[in-house]
This record gives sequence, C-alpha cells and structure tokens, in this order.
Amino acid sequence: MNNTLLIGLSRQVTMRRELDVIANNVANVTTTGFKRRGGTFMEYLMPVASADTMRAGQRKLSYVADDAGILDMSGGAIEQTGNPLDVALRGPALIAISTPAGERYTRDGALVLNAQGTLVTHSGHPVLTDQGPVTFSPSDGDIRIAADGTLSTAQGPRGKLRLVDASNPQVFENAGGNLYRAMRPVGPAPAGTRLESGALERSNVNPTAEISRLIELNRSYGSLAQMLQRTDEMRRSTLSRLAEAA
Amino acid sequence: MRALYTASTGMMAQEMNVQVISNNVANMRTTGFKRQRVHFEDLLYETQKRAGSPASDQGTIIPVGISIGSGVKTVATPRLMGQGNVTPTEKSYDIAIRGEGLFRILMPDGRTAYTRDGSFELDADGRLVTMEGNLVDPGITVPNNAKSVSISAQGVVSATLPGQVAPQQLGQIQLARFVNKTGLESIGDNLFVETAGSGPALTANPGAEGYGSLQQGYLEEANVNAVTEIASLIAAQRAYEMNAKVISAADQMMNATSQAFRG
Repeated sequence: MNNTLLIGLSRQVTMRRELDVIANNVANVTTTGFKRRGGTFMEYLMPVASADTMRAGQRKLSYVADDAGILDMSGGAIEQTGNPLDVALRGPALIAISTPAGERYTRDGALVLNAQGTLVTHSGHPVLTDQGPVTFSPSDGDIRIAADGTLSTAQGPRGKLRLVDASNPQVFENAGGNLYRAMRPVGPAPAGTRLESGALERSNVNPTAEISRLIELNRSYGSLAQMLQRTDEMRRSTLSRLAEAA
Repeated sequence: MRALYTASTGMMAQEMNVQVISNNVANMRTTGFKRQRVHFEDLLYETQKRAGSPASDQGTIIPVGISIGSGVKTVATPRLMGQGNVTPTEKSYDIAIRGEGLFRILMPDGRTAYTRDGSFELDADGRLVTMEGNLVDPGITVPNNAKSVSISAQGVVSATLPGQVAPQQLGQIQLARFVNKTGLESIGDNLFVETAGSGPALTANPGAEGYGSLQQGYLEEANVNAVTEIASLIAAQRAYEMNAKVISAADQMMNATSQAFRG
C-alpha cells in the first residue's frame, strides 16, 4: 500500500518543479527577449516492483519523473521603441556577446554605447560583429542598424552583427542575465534572418496559457493531496480494525 | 518552495516598472524631460539535469535538460534621449535644441550640469540663467539697454544697443554631447551630470557636425507618449497580478500538503 503514497509523491514533486518553471515564466513576462520554458514528464516504470497480489501483467508500477524543460524559441511581440540602437530579431537567431566567461548569446536587442563608445548590452558586455567588438567615436554621427545586421554611420559601414543559428534551441542553456550558453558549437544564422531596428522583442510568455496551466496544476495537486489523504485514512482504519480484532 | 520567491521577484520588478512609468507620466509636461524605461533580465538558473549527460551505458545522451530559473531582476532604467516636440512660446529667452546636444549650466557648487530645458531668463545683473537662477555656461550678459535680443541657430547671441545700427554680438551659446548620453545621471531640476559611464563632455557650437541647432522662442516638450505609457502601465499591472496569482497558487499547494495528513 505504500506504493500509492510513493507514486503520488513522485507526481507531487514534479508538480512543484513545474510550478517553479511557471513562476519563472510569469516573473519574466516583461523581460526583453525572454524565451519561456515548458516542462515534459515521463513515466518511470519501477523495474523491481513486486505487487504480488495482482496478475503478472499488472505488477509494474509507473512513477512520474521530470524529463526535460524545453526552451521555446518562438517569437515574442515586437514593440516599436524608436530608439536607433534597439533591435528585434525575427527568425531563429541569437546575437553573439563577448563576456568574461566566454562567448554567450542573447535575444535581447536593447543595445547601448558605453563611455568608450563600444556597443554593449545593458550588462556592459561587448556585442560581437564579424570583426569583433565595435567602437564608435562621437564624430561618427548617427548609428544605423540595417535589416541584415550591418552597422553603419555617416562614415560608412562598420561591420555586421554576428548572429548565430538557434533553429535547434535545445543546444542552448540559460546563463541568466538574458544570456544563453551553447553546449555545442553553433553555426551562423540562416540567410534571410532579419533584424528590425528601433524595436524590441518582448518576452514570448503567454500569460493566459501560463495562468491556465497554473490553475490546472493547483487543482490536480489538490486532488492528488486529497487522494493521498484518503489512502492514509484507509490505512489508519485498517490498522485500527486489525487492532480491535486482535 | 522556490515559486514563492520567483514570483516575488516578478512583483518587485513590476513595482519598479510602475514607479518609472508614473514618473514619466508625472513629467509629461516638463520641458526637456526625457522618458525612462526599465530593462529586465532573468536571474540565475539551477540545472537539475544537464543536457548532454549520458542517458544509458550505450552512450546515448539526454537532448534536453532541466534548468529552473529563479526570477527576474532590474538591470537598468535607461533614459531615452529622443527628440521631443518643439512648441512656440514667443519668449526671447526660450531656446529649443533640435538634434543632439545639451546646454551647459554652471551649478553653485562649481560643477557643470547639462540640460535640454532651454527656458532661460535674465537675472538682476542681466546674466542668462535657468529658472533656478543657475548661470548658463559660457556666460552671457545682456546690457539693460539692449533691444531685440536674437539668438541664431548657431548659438550667437546678439542685440541692438541704443544709438547703433548694426547688432552687437554678446556671446556664444555652446552645446555639450556625450559618447553615451544614456549614462548621464539625473539630479532633478531637469539637470544631468557627467558620470564615468557617460564619458567626458565634448563641446562645440550649435550647428557643428553632430550637434543640433538652436531655435529661439521655442521650447522642447517632454518626449513622453501618453498612449505608450498607459499601455505599459496596464501591462505592468496585469503582470503584477499574475505574479500574485502564482504566489497564491504556491500557497494553496503547500496548504493542500499540510492539510492532507493529520497525525
């Protein structure tokens, strides 16, 4: 009878983790370029299960275990900001960033110039172009970012933003700070990836979907807790009746 | 239960968002005000199952791991330095900048501050000052018998003095610009000061390459757009509510567990 409790518990543990994932998605509902994570679960057959009272075919017990937190790279809403250094990516691509810990990738196109005139993210990490980090001087005039990622000023082109392919999002691991780490080498973005300057990509979290999942999760957690309670009561009454009989 | 803390970072972030939006809306009619926005980033992730780790003795690997984030943080509240609308005021010492650049203002403590607010006046000695009485740098003194003071697009201040036909040049207004103007620090009173993040000020006459030109008798309005601010406010409020919903769901789940077993 302990198995019922343990199977229920295995599901409850994964539900709590799912709640953590939803909480992180909802907390980042206004984070620029944030990509939501989903959860998938798998059935875990207990190979050594031994429910002797049942027929052989029904002896296996299935538990629940988390399987994966899938990164959902679908596009977020594009918001016009009018700021010339804001870029929104369209299509499966990420912008390459140089950080002290190595190369990282981001979908957050809110770029700024630092005091030296280098193009950086809001965390101060230089943005990489095909010629490495790019520095502008005040005499360069207005900076424009073309739809293919080419940076140009009144003095002419100054390199092209280095975009990497994100058509397989599962290669990327979250590093925090809107950055991703690649676990395998990634190639350049497919031809035809477009940038929109003067706009930012909002988070792709769909609040309605997250809240519905939250409600569903909350209800099934509650009913599971109730089921465990019934099991517990059943066991308690069994024990007390046995005690009376003895 | 991590979800509680994750959702509380979300609520704090939205609170900050509303603070910034309300300051933008409050300054909708402030001359030369530049709106701010809040920039958010996600917090650290905890990897509970790493992608690429072996899944079996046969060398198959896990394609997707489990990593759970811990919420959101505010990294910056950059000011958007875009041009505001220029409106006529018909006052001779109102000056709007069209394009890049900031006026230089001499503070009482000797520091130089910068502003887009060109609503100037003359003090008792005929010096050009801001509404707070701080001197415009480089200083310009208008004699009390001067007539028809004019300020050219290139910043030359000239006036006609009694008994003279040709206007006399009284001074030159200069503009400052920065490599990273979003890095300027606001000190209130429509003033900004230089920081290590903004880089040093570069000064030139208005109309020079990369600098804006002046327009006498006009003022620059705030660059706040009421519609976008209200839309952001609604979005922030809903996001706050949803984070609160996550907290109450986490609470109900904990309650379900604690109520399930009575000893």
